[in-house]
Amino acid sequence: MEIGDCYVGWATDEDIRTRGASGGLVTAMLAAALEKGLVEAVVVLKKLGEFEAVPVVTSDPEEVKAAAGSMHSVPIVLSRYLEYGTKVALPAKPCDARSTIEQAKRGQVDIDTTYIVGLNCGGTMHPAMTRKMLDVMYKLDPEDIEGEEIDKGKLIFETKDGEEHAIKIDELEEEGYGRRESCQYCFTNIPVMADIACGNWGVIGDLAGKGTFVEINTEKGIEILRNAIDSGAVEVTEADEKGKAIRAKVDGAMMKVAAAANEKYLAPIEGSHLDYYMNALKDCINCGACKTVCPVCACGEGAKCTEYSSAADTYKMSLFHLVRFVHLMDSCIGCGQCTDVCPADISLTHIYQRFARPMQDEFEYKPGMDMTTPPFFGVDLLEEGH
Amino acid sequence: MAEATATGTTGEEWQPKIVMFCCNWCSYGGADSAGMGRFQQPPTVRVIRVMCSGRMDPMFILNAFLEGADGVLFSGCHIGDCHYVNGNYKATIKYKFLKAMVNELGLEDERLKLDWISASEGERYAEVVTEFTEQIKKVGPSPLKPEGVI
Repeated sequence: MEIGDCYVGWATDEDIRTRGASGGLVTAMLAAALEKGLVEAVVVLKKLGEFEAVPVVTSDPEEVKAAAGSMHSVPIVLSRYLEYGTKVALPAKPCDARSTIEQAKRGQVDIDTTYIVGLNCGGTMHPAMTRKMLDVMYKLDPEDIEGEEIDKGKLIFETKDGEEHAIKIDELEEEGYGRRESCQYCFTNIPVMADIACGNWGVIGDLAGKGTFVEINTEKGIEILRNAIDSGAVEVTEADEKGKAIRAKVDGAMMKVAAAANEKYLAPIEGSHLDYYMNALKDCINCGACKTVCPVCACGEGAKCTEYSSAADTYKMSLFHLVRFVHLMDSCIGCGQCTDVCPADISLTHIYQRFARPMQDEFEYKPGMDMTTPPFFGVDLLEEGH
Repeated sequence: MAEATATGTTGEEWQPKIVMFCCNWCSYGGADSAGMGRFQQPPTVRVIRVMCSGRMDPMFILNAFLEGADGVLFSGCHIGDCHYVNGNYKATIKYKFLKAMVNELGLEDERLKLDWISASEGERYAEVVTEFTEQIKKVGPSPLKPEGVI
């Protein structure tokens, strides 16, 4: 097994294989890592309902197995729940993986003891929006839903009576439903920065729907997959060239969709920028939730942005926001958590991305892709002649 | 300029308020030399001394704008002359980020400037201040100025 190798794998346990989104490989691999003592804990989402889940840090393999199956409507970034120094594994969408790496740069996570099991991601949905969408677009009662999946550009909901209801995602997004805005213009679909990248793109033939395509990116990736194979929890076969080509094609198609969304949402502001931003932030109630959930912020309590900003200020814009704008210019990964939690429904990710994207392009720096120091702190003294 | 004269004192030309951050070792000395050399300069600048241009926190500059500054100048030792070896390199990076940020925010590009002034360059100090004041006079009062602040 080497870095760069691609496999198609599945869980040997029949129950995990059927409950898992595509062959249950990720669930089986995480459970095996716990059982064999490769890691001390795993961070997973504990399902509370179809649209609700809470992140848990667990050492119980049964709890990991219970979390099998994808959840498109719970967009929680797990990296904040990692503890420094604990050997831990987590299933990670590209934004989870990128924020884990950003946290590692800030000394919040030890990258050497963290196994990032990447998951392909085409986007997630906000739970409240999903409920509304089911009501308005699907004419279904959210309580009747038993499962959901995304297949061939359609979002499919399965009701308790076993029937499937499908609507094209494009159609949903035109109506203002569907994936979160930040997901629509996200360019990272395959988690190439994770230790191992898993997903159903590129699984063809008999295995379609029953297997997971795996690409190994690092030594840790080899370790965790090897551990699962040795303990008999998963089986793998070599991926064929056709599968690899299809995976690349799906990724390319998603990129094109993202580029179109980019044009749509992040088109240059017409008129006064200052009016635009003041208007966008006018409903802010100064709760600081956007900072609390931000997976790349490592300042903790008493951060500069909160400490020096007060609700009593009579400034035209809050100092809190201005400091956050600068801080996020080189580190915003566009995960969308801030928009999700904002009680005033301010599209914060959108605003941060407007500041961050031009700067990240200029420095050719994409946060969270590797351990490169952010340009804001990265003065190369040797290069400058000192 | 109609708006500009409205906020100024009656009859006189509007004078911008400029906050200038000077590093302890070069630019603050430069300000001293300018005074000692009796170089004429407009009284628009409020100097704040920092130990090094690398100490400049973006927050200082943002706060200056929010408090009603029409322009912010910050200045340090010439590249290679930094008392702390590389503080002014760090200042350049911060300046780049701030410039992009201030532009995206919709403040005019002219309102923020980084320049290098050494302790012996009194004349240059006066020139930089005069030039920057002229520049700010052209763009008028800052749109971020709070209500009631002149």
